[in-house]
Amino acid sequence: MANWSMVIDLDKCVGCQACSLACKAENNVPHGSPYEHKRHHDIFWHKVIAASEGEFPSVNTQIIPMPCMHCDHPPCVNVCPSKATYKRGDGIVMQNFRRCLGCRYCIVACPYGARSFNFKDQKDEEYQRPDLPEDLGLSNEGHIGPWPYPHRTRGVVEKCTYCFHRIDQALENGEEVGSKLDGHHGVLPACVEACPTEARYFGDLDDPNSAVSKLLASRSFIKLREEMLTSPKTIYLPR
Amino acid sequence: MSQAATDKPSSPEPKRSNGFRISRRAFLGVSGAAAAVVLAVVLALKRPKLAEPIETQTDSVVAKQDLIPTSCLNCPTRCAILVRKVETTAGKTKVVKISGNSASTYSEGKCCSRSHVGLQVLYNPDRFPYPLVRKAGTEKGRAVDYENDFEEEDWGGALDRIAERLTSPDKLLILQGLNTTSNEDLIRRFALAYGAQNLFDEEGLETAADRKGKMLADGRLDSGYEMVAEDGTSTKYILAFSSGIVESERPLARNLRLWGKLRRELPNKTKVVSFDPRYSVTASRADEWLPINPGSEGAMAMAIAHVILSEGLHDADFINDHTEGFYGYSTLARTQRFSPESVSEISGVPADTIRRIAREFAQSRPAVAWSGEAATSWPYGTLASHAIYCLNALVGSIDVPGGIVYQQQPPYAAMPTEGLAITDTGITFREMADLLRKGAIDTAIGFNSNLIMSVPESTEDGKWDKVLKNLFYVHIGPAKSEMAAYADIILPACTYLEDWGYESAIPGSGYAEARIKQPVIEPRDGSRPTASILFDLATRTPLSAPFGPVESTSETFAEDFAKYRTAPLMGWDDFKNTGVWKGNSYSYRNYAFATDSGKFEFHSDHLERLLNVGLPGEGTDYPLELAIYRPVLEIRSGSQNFPWAQEMYLVMHGRGWRNLVEMNRETAHEHGVGEGDEVVVESPYGEIEGEARVVEGMQPGVVSIATGQGHFASGRFADGMGMNPNDVIGTEYDEESGQPSYFSTRVRIRKA
Repeated sequence: MANWSMVIDLDKCVGCQACSLACKAENNVPHGSPYEHKRHHDIFWHKVIAASEGEFPSVNTQIIPMPCMHCDHPPCVNVCPSKATYKRGDGIVMQNFRRCLGCRYCIVACPYGARSFNFKDQKDEEYQRPDLPEDLGLSNEGHIGPWPYPHRTRGVVEKCTYCFHRIDQALENGEEVGSKLDGHHGVLPACVEACPTEARYFGDLDDPNSAVSKLLASRSFIKLREEMLTSPKTIYLPR
Repeated sequence: MSQAATDKPSSPEPKRSNGFRISRRAFLGVSGAAAAVVLAVVLALKRPKLAEPIETQTDSVVAKQDLIPTSCLNCPTRCAILVRKVETTAGKTKVVKISGNSASTYSEGKCCSRSHVGLQVLYNPDRFPYPLVRKAGTEKGRAVDYENDFEEEDWGGALDRIAERLTSPDKLLILQGLNTTSNEDLIRRFALAYGAQNLFDEEGLETAADRKGKMLADGRLDSGYEMVAEDGTSTKYILAFSSGIVESERPLARNLRLWGKLRRELPNKTKVVSFDPRYSVTASRADEWLPINPGSEGAMAMAIAHVILSEGLHDADFINDHTEGFYGYSTLARTQRFSPESVSEISGVPADTIRRIAREFAQSRPAVAWSGEAATSWPYGTLASHAIYCLNALVGSIDVPGGIVYQQQPPYAAMPTEGLAITDTGITFREMADLLRKGAIDTAIGFNSNLIMSVPESTEDGKWDKVLKNLFYVHIGPAKSEMAAYADIILPACTYLEDWGYESAIPGSGYAEARIKQPVIEPRDGSRPTASILFDLATRTPLSAPFGPVESTSETFAEDFAKYRTAPLMGWDDFKNTGVWKGNSYSYRNYAFATDSGKFEFHSDHLERLLNVGLPGEGTDYPLELAIYRPVLEIRSGSQNFPWAQEMYLVMHGRGWRNLVEMNRETAHEHGVGEGDEVVVESPYGEIEGEARVVEGMQPGVVSIATGQGHFASGRFADGMGMNPNDVIGTEYDEESGQPSYFSTRVRIRKA
């Protein structure tokens, strides 16, 4: 089984936020409002943050795209009292909306702020997405995860899934998954596909020939908050 | 919803023991059971509420999925896109995703973040459902109330009313906002057939001076920065003069894609140096940020020329063979006043740094000097643009791979000129302002116009507010906007995702590219294509054959016109399926300059004006300089009623739904302002109030505000968010091009 990973080249990224918007469209993530923005209640499965340091005129701002880190040792899974969040065999950390109690322990435990709590009902016509497959049920055996996106659920925690539905479907159809370095690519998560600078790569960490493995072998890389021993699989290539 | 609460099984009622006698064991049992009931109820109430029972939601079965090639129109780059549409067995249709079209080599199948917002442009809840006519006696402008100020009118009636106003071509003003290329062609064609000289293209508000300065040199309006040639030759050095290459400079998606290439995919990483008063996204991504005083970019370009010429680093072959006026220019540039030491005083950049940058620039070819709006939107903007552009000629970057290229146009089918009343139309901003001031205009028609938000002195009771209130104004556009608030008649045109048409690639690639525009869904509600509106208007006025050889009806005109014009490119069905037509590869070194001399012309007249820069801190009344900027998620159609764009508006500050008054820490301290304070920004022309943001990345003495906010009549997601910096900007013109000078207004700040 693959070990999915995302590599983001911070030298190429320009903070245009096409990734965040592609994610919102792909996963039917609701938009916020000024009220929610002020209280940090708006839902982002992916967010671009900026971190500044230095004094004028020696300023440095890092623009960092933040999907879920899909940690190898995810603290959110450890704290979940209802086993609503779990790690799949291929390393993707999932959230089962049916099991989630809404206790938000995982939000506290996550060192990356990758999780959002859904505070509101989605009554709008806006979020009726007829194209999305039906709910796959309560089982969390194998790779069956939550797929309730044709509607949203209030009172549960939501998060990035590396667009597992795209990956699973591609594998089922025998298609290739992941980035390549020669300009072509297989099926990709929405944010990777949308990136106009091609700063993002997705692939199998266990496959030495995948683009992500080659990039990590050829350049220095950073993992955010490595000291937390989470061993994240979203990995950054510094400038 | 109560279903969720009731489908949870509740605990059985506890069994009572006989009579009132309750044993201790029974009592414990009762209280335990009661606690269980309470817990069950609490859990049931705590359960997430569902919008509707899960069972009813599983009927959505996708009957059909389409991937429709069309093109974006959220900025003037007009990228090729693919739009995914799904239809269910229940007959529901929804457009769900927008992505780049890999058939387009222009931006290598990529589109920027703005494209994704297209879904919310289409499903904007504040679109007009039918034509609206203003009721007599209602007030125009900020006090607009769309519900009560307008009444519904049918299309025929509304068009009749407009046709009645079309009596004198000289008194008509046509305002053109961001429109599809084919619609622009039709609007222009309509103006020519009707004899309307006064057509103002709002793109000129930002680019007129820049284009004019370049045109002085090469006589052409189609020069662009290629960055990476088709054969992989890339620019080796980019000198950005306050240009937001990766946030606002067009063609944005192409810039973004090629930025990725320049940074990491090609051998020998390109060096990017950014002169900018503000630590912009581009400056932060560049290799070097050199903070510079606003407005001194033109002088800086001359200082760099001074170093290049003094040290003999220029491309003598190109200059000897293909240029004119070099002697005068070179003499002027080498004078003491343009020496790095002198320019260092007005720009704030150390002389040694200027020397180093000039040498690097001249020795890393192909190198380009890229002028941005902030460098050219000044009273001497044309000169600044010219001075910056001439650096490209000095290092021989004109018409070479990775340098400046001239965009070719797709060979559309010609439109015959017989029957047209006039041969040319179009006025500058200054000419338009003069006409309106003199009262020479009585009727205006705006196509997606966004004028009132983008002109200086846009305040209530400001001069534009008064001018627009006195006009009979017809607004043609899909949704609520500030210009619609001034309208007497509103015609709901459909959005670009429901329209037929074609788009041409804007300067950048050299080779021509055409993209189709085709409806992904039928026009929503009662909206109609702009082409149909023009067709109907033409049939109501005594114009002879305004649209040339295209035989059509009102309903099918948009498609027929696009089909006719693109016939020489490829078959219509092929075009509809691929969405993109690409021209022949660009051939370099043609040096086809359209100047009088046929050569690249260095102009040196008046260039010394570039030294007249007002410095921050000068003048006691208004000590600060106001610099506006355009963030990437400012949707360039003028509306901002799109929650996705709003909630991540300022990426550098992590803030949305607003803009901020950004200033350096030192400046903030001097004015007693702290982070998050409400401050008033005041100029002789007006004042605005906003939240202060204290940053390190800003030249001291400069206040910076993003544009695109401060809407008052655009709908629920835009109105009342942030402020419009144009409210405090005064009207000064660039002398050559008539473009308003957005950056020359001085301000002061105080705590609210």
